[in-house]
Amino acid sequence: MKIIVAIKQVPDRDAQVHIDAAGKWIDESSLQYALNESDAYALEEALQLKEKHGGEVVVVSAGPERVGQTIREALAKGADRAIHIVCDDLGLRDALGVARLLAAAIKPENPDLLLTGLQSEDLGLGQTGVIVAELLGLPHATLILNVEKTETGLKVKRELEEGWFQTIELPTPAVLTIQSGGNKLRYATLMGIKRAKTKEVRQLTAASLGVDAAPVVVLEQVALPQKQKSTQILPGTAKEAAAALVEKLKFEVRVL
Amino acid sequence: MLVFLPTLAEPQHFSLFEKLLFTGLAIASAYGFWRRFGLVLKKILKSKKDPSFHLFPIGKRVWDFFWEVLCQAKVIRERPLPGLAHAFVFWAFCAFALVTLNHCAVVFGIGFLSPAGAIGRLYYYFAAVFALFCAVGIAGLFIRRFLVRPKWLGARLSWESGLIAFLIFVLMATYLASFFVADADPSARTLWWIHTLALLTFLPIIPYTKHLHLLLSPATVFLSRGSFAQIPPLSGDEDFGLVAGTDLTQLVSLQAYSCVECGRCTEHCPAANTGKLLNPKEIILGVRAYLNDLGPSSDQPLLGKYNQQEAVFQCTTCGACEFQCPVGIEHVPILVGLRRGAVNTGAWEDQYGCKLFLALERGSNALGISPAERDKFIQKQQLPIFDGTQEYCLWLGCMGGYDPKGREIVAAFARVMNYLGTSYGVLRKEKCTGDPVRRLGNDLVFQQLAEANLEALAQNKVKKIISICPHCVRTIQEDWKDYGTPPEIEHHSEFLARYAGQLPRQTNPSPASPNPTSPEKIVFHDPCYLGRYRNVYDQPRSVASLAGELVEAPRHRQRSFCCGAGGGLSFLGEETGERVSHVRAAELVATGATTVGTACPFCNSMFRDALDAKGEGAPQLLDIAQLAARGLPPGEAS
Repeated sequence: MKIIVAIKQVPDRDAQVHIDAAGKWIDESSLQYALNESDAYALEEALQLKEKHGGEVVVVSAGPERVGQTIREALAKGADRAIHIVCDDLGLRDALGVARLLAAAIKPENPDLLLTGLQSEDLGLGQTGVIVAELLGLPHATLILNVEKTETGLKVKRELEEGWFQTIELPTPAVLTIQSGGNKLRYATLMGIKRAKTKEVRQLTAASLGVDAAPVVVLEQVALPQKQKSTQILPGTAKEAAAALVEKLKFEVRVL
Repeated sequence: MLVFLPTLAEPQHFSLFEKLLFTGLAIASAYGFWRRFGLVLKKILKSKKDPSFHLFPIGKRVWDFFWEVLCQAKVIRERPLPGLAHAFVFWAFCAFALVTLNHCAVVFGIGFLSPAGAIGRLYYYFAAVFALFCAVGIAGLFIRRFLVRPKWLGARLSWESGLIAFLIFVLMATYLASFFVADADPSARTLWWIHTLALLTFLPIIPYTKHLHLLLSPATVFLSRGSFAQIPPLSGDEDFGLVAGTDLTQLVSLQAYSCVECGRCTEHCPAANTGKLLNPKEIILGVRAYLNDLGPSSDQPLLGKYNQQEAVFQCTTCGACEFQCPVGIEHVPILVGLRRGAVNTGAWEDQYGCKLFLALERGSNALGISPAERDKFIQKQQLPIFDGTQEYCLWLGCMGGYDPKGREIVAAFARVMNYLGTSYGVLRKEKCTGDPVRRLGNDLVFQQLAEANLEALAQNKVKKIISICPHCVRTIQEDWKDYGTPPEIEHHSEFLARYAGQLPRQTNPSPASPNPTSPEKIVFHDPCYLGRYRNVYDQPRSVASLAGELVEAPRHRQRSFCCGAGGGLSFLGEETGERVSHVRAAELVATGATTVGTACPFCNSMFRDALDAKGEGAPQLLDIAQLAARGLPPGEAS
């Protein structure tokens, strides 16, 4: 089975994020980056499928030179080769724009399966995977925790709301967006890193793929969330306070 | 009736038949010896070269050789009675070198040490004294091994040790008996032949048995890596630690063949003493068995048939084994080497270990907590930020920055430093030193952490670090050296001891102690990474004694028993067998102390749980910084 995993490099979750001078994107100069979490699970799923059924795992990622580091990590964990779509304006591209880049790079590979994380930790749009499926004309399923290969195609477990799961079958080739937590991630090893040095990383550009950068959705401004504190002390006995709390959670915050 | 003739009997003339017989037997004996010894030597020499080995500085090697081999200091110190018996045998062997050479030379009429001459007479008397002690010693060791049978010698009775003991006894007895007969007496000739036969039987047995140590261990002690529990750097792109036979270095092979199977390592091992699979002696013998069966060129895995992965990952790296070993085996680098082999190739699969590695691949601390929590703690405690003007950089470490009890230790230590007027500051950002991943064998994550930290310290122009954690101290000072030059570092016990004179001595019973009416008795637990790893024993005691009267646990100082946290084990899952921390805590409680004093946040966290399990009446648990801070006048807190 030939599996492609689309991954994204995102700011490390411990990083302090600042807005850049133009107010259009975050200041990338002193940020640390890491592999998007659900993409890590997508990679893990792909590696486990390969270990079970054989085949090849190819990672593809779009972004500037620094993405090479994350690609190396994916290769170190066991991917066989990689495609790096080098572009410095990823933050300015909308989900459709990124999906077009990915689809153009993936199409000639003709994979049996395309996996990607369900959403990115930085923008959290959750659209890129499904748009790629549409562009490639492939069936897709989202929020996948587990993938099984069957004789006719795939059997996958989807996570629904409130602890419900759904099991569906679909033919290959297909696109799946993977939810975090379905597998145990493997750790990177020294041997993996050393072996990764000799693995192929093919570099492409938007121009070489024939995809232009004009976005459909234009980013006007980015801003840090305002810190809001609204602590309320509920007076009275425990019983009264509890009743007041339920009231507020039901009708003010609407979480119950 | 025997008449004491103060001269050693020496047969004067040997017939041609005797000469031929002796020559034949000697050749056979030497051949039997070399057939095995040559093979062992070949396996050692064919092993991979130790890339980081340096013979210099040679002074320490010469001293270790003198002290541990010639004086038998370690052999005696750690097991006085059998140690002394062994020393007598060893010294007699040394004294007998000349006697034996002359013994063989007389067959061909070329004896050089005449029993009648003044020098000869003197030397033979000298050797006789050793022979007497040796005979008594070897008889004692025989009784110990076959009648007393301490369990550390193993369940199997070693018949070859019995035979060796018998031969040594015969050698000594025949030598001593020769003082009671005349040269011309036929029994002199008989004694000579018995002595000779014992000698020629002894020689080929040596390389086939653990008595090989008699030839190898002097070299092993002399050629040791040079510092305690030192983990050698990996070399080249294909070195992932001890994966297969091809990774065994000459030092490892030499050490494996040197093992004398005395079991001191196992006797002191916290894992072996709490019902776990790990037995450090068997690890070394496992490597030896691998070398015997497959040799140093094999690519068969070292873990599997000969040693088990589970056992290797039960080591707390407390170093008691290595500290005890009388023949210079360095267990810690071997155990960590086997772990490196398993982790660096991805062969080790462990839920908790994997979680720790992932936490440190991406995050900053071993506890997997957001660094924002550390910032909050720094703000709350009003710890100054290091800006290059202060004397010390106070290294918080994962425990000091994130663990609630570790934070209390940091806060107490900061109070003391404020009281003393010491200038210090903490870094805005810190990553784990990499101690747990280093000991678990993850070189990739360790390198990332070491490099990131070294860079941050250099950027902040840190010259001196101080830390409450012996693991941080060890890792920064020794292990980071593979990746740069770490700043000077000391443990807070060393700092506090230096200023102990300026700190208030608390009256006993102290009004500050929780029970001000009863006198406070403090038992100090030596952390492995402070004691055996850093040789710091007196300093924390001098600090603890500010707060009360010190008592000692039966196992203390160099022989201290681990708390169970080291080697990354505090981050792994539940132990099999008894918990090491509970065994040690019971020992500390049994001293009747009202307070357990610690100097390591990991020991502290292990004993916290173990003492809680004891319920009511358990002694309180305090770090030495907390004990020192308790006596400070109120209002000194920053």
